[in-house]
Amino acid sequence: MTREVEMKDRTTPSNSVSSAIPSTLQHLKEIASLVETGSYSKEVRRIARAVRLTIALRKKLTTPVIASFLDHALGQGSEAHIRIFVYLPKDDEHDMEVDTATSANLAPVKHLLPELEIYCYLLVLLFLIDQKRYNEAKACSSASIARLKTLNRRTIDVLASRLYFYYSYSYELTGDLAEIRGNLLALHRIATLRHDELSQETLLNLLLRNYLHYNLYDQAEKLRSKAPRFEAHSNQQFCRYLFYLGKIRTIQLEYTDAKESLLQAARKAPVAARGFRIQCNKWAIIVRLLLGEIPERTVFMQKGMENALRPYFELTNAVRIGDLELFKSVAEKFANTFNTDRTHNLIVRLRHNVIRTGLRNISISYSQISLADVATKLRLDSSNPVADAESIVAKAIRDGAIDATIDRAKGCMVSKESGDIYSTNEPQIAFNSRIAFCLNMHNEAVRALRFPPNTHKEKESAEKRRERQQQEQELAKHIAEEDDDDF
Amino acid sequence: MSSAVVASLLAMHSGGKKYLPALQSSQQAEQKQQLWKVTTMDPKFAEASQLFGRFNAALTRNDFDSCTNLLSQLKVMLTEFKSLPPLFEKTPNTTHELTLAREVYEHAVILSVKMEDQDAFERDFCQLKPYYTDACDRIPPSPQEYPILGLNLLRLLVQNRIAEFHTELELLSPSALENPCIKHAVELEQSFMEGAYNRVLSARQTVPHQSFVYFMDLLAKTVRDEIAGCSEKAYDYLSISDARQMLLFSSDEQLMEYIKEEHPDWEVKTGMVFFQKAKETAHSKEIPSLQLINQTLSYARELERIV
Repeated sequence: MTREVEMKDRTTPSNSVSSAIPSTLQHLKEIASLVETGSYSKEVRRIARAVRLTIALRKKLTTPVIASFLDHALGQGSEAHIRIFVYLPKDDEHDMEVDTATSANLAPVKHLLPELEIYCYLLVLLFLIDQKRYNEAKACSSASIARLKTLNRRTIDVLASRLYFYYSYSYELTGDLAEIRGNLLALHRIATLRHDELSQETLLNLLLRNYLHYNLYDQAEKLRSKAPRFEAHSNQQFCRYLFYLGKIRTIQLEYTDAKESLLQAARKAPVAARGFRIQCNKWAIIVRLLLGEIPERTVFMQKGMENALRPYFELTNAVRIGDLELFKSVAEKFANTFNTDRTHNLIVRLRHNVIRTGLRNISISYSQISLADVATKLRLDSSNPVADAESIVAKAIRDGAIDATIDRAKGCMVSKESGDIYSTNEPQIAFNSRIAFCLNMHNEAVRALRFPPNTHKEKESAEKRRERQQQEQELAKHIAEEDDDDF
Repeated sequence: MSSAVVASLLAMHSGGKKYLPALQSSQQAEQKQQLWKVTTMDPKFAEASQLFGRFNAALTRNDFDSCTNLLSQLKVMLTEFKSLPPLFEKTPNTTHELTLAREVYEHAVILSVKMEDQDAFERDFCQLKPYYTDACDRIPPSPQEYPILGLNLLRLLVQNRIAEFHTELELLSPSALENPCIKHAVELEQSFMEGAYNRVLSARQTVPHQSFVYFMDLLAKTVRDEIAGCSEKAYDYLSISDARQMLLFSSDEQLMEYIKEEHPDWEVKTGMVFFQKAKETAHSKEIPSLQLINQTLSYARELERIV
């Protein structure tokens, strides 16, 4: 529902111009060498970069390119090569042979790096998903996961977390998410034992997604509250986590927390992830309505979201006016949308808010109004509208939604004069929370600053060099003195 | 699937208000037992189903002591079947065993309602739930599923566990929400949230299943407390007769007793009930100096860090 959009946008061009093949292959080889150096120097950053570069190459991948790359990277006839090669679709065998003939000779027999093998799995898996061969993708991802379980190297973590993601994604595409739940839980446990935080983060999100896919909010919350938390490593994963957290909290009626999570998720999400942001916004709108807030018009007019948010806009309108009839008709008109968004139950909850808003409007406009009039204005259709209105008003008063009293003898609602807000501490509290927000924002911004990794290192090495030179000089002097002594 | 259960479901649909006899007459239980004997030769299974027959008979007689006895024996026996959750192993008798186990737990839930034991209800329901969620592709759906799910929703409502109520609700499909048993509970929750309490009370007349009555009675008590809470905020005073009517008491004495027990701060004089309002504390006469100093200091500290 969310990040798939990003993937669907990418169409796989079938016109593989012959000149494109070598260049793509060249790119892939460069990436492979990046993985290799990353593995030897134990620099996770390089491998992360390799994954990023691969995603950029996705559109250009074709069977022959991957085939010849596999030959190059794994060495033809090696065990890993046989394992991975079976998952490649065999549609244009002819092309492949031509390529392998050249590269097979070049490929030196060397000790195979596990990183490279896992990277090949990832590449093939990406390709299969792009080609919509979901069943093959499932088989391939399962095999890669089985292989991953036997490896325990920190340099693989980045690749592993991506593989987990596509593993779950390929199962989601075929609608078999429930099948892999046990496996994901086992993987999460392994990742936790190995202190592989990136994979933990990814797997936790996948599990939450898995549970929420089947509306298992209870299990999701139990897992979430018990899973270890740490500072987020990847912004994307953190966004997803916030979104799932927001959903869980909404269902469990913790609207204030839910709103915070959902809005934060929507803000943090990259601009390209439109589908994800739309989902976040939809939920955030409903939560705000449930809280009794009315989202501003600009929320609905965000670029590229107008159409998707249209039903929610009309819904907001109905709640804002406090018109039960209009609310009902909107809910019926867009029932399909709300059902596919799985927000239907939340919208049922909103009915109560519509009545509240309507009541508040009445209370503001009239200093005294009969309960019968309240019932007609709220359009309560029941057998005994006046009695209903009376208890509804009474509850609204108790909950603090309106400031009024009911005069039972006259059968009317009497609104109280609203006091001067500036005679209370209220403004000071509001002011304080705003200041705290700004200061917090500044602190977080400072914390998020990143410094290029090398400047720090170079400085250190320069210092070291100076130190070394100094030591050498001293030593030279010492030797010279000794020499002098000798003479 | 037992014919008696179907019959009770039919009666539920047609009558609604009619009192339903207990699920099974002993004669029918015997028939079912024989049917099972034909289909299986497994002695353990035969024993369990025989025991279940006796349990059913006891349930029909409302003999709760022997019911609880038999039930705990049955539960122990069920642990020996490997086809049941959480193992879900494939055995030749899987369908029969699952169906039997499900019926055992369904009846356990019904028993707990009859015995008015909410804790037992929760326990039994938790044991039953996997049969509805995880085993639904192995055995045909039970006709008792929706009444029991509805009962559970009602229980959560009575215990004021609204968050769990909504979590359970999310698990139901749109078609399930249309089921009268579920709809009843959902509508109750809505009226309850809105404050339309008389709608909640009148819903007692339209219960879709006889076992709902127990929880509806409990709900009535909750509603009374809610009304009392709302009234003391919404009214300055009420006449005694009005108050009695609103709080659903049949006599003034009951009302007086209730006030004495639950709301001793209410004042009764000259035929009126006066509610002592908590004086508003909105107006601040004092400046909260300590708090302000603390805040200002923290601003200064933060600003220093920025500059």
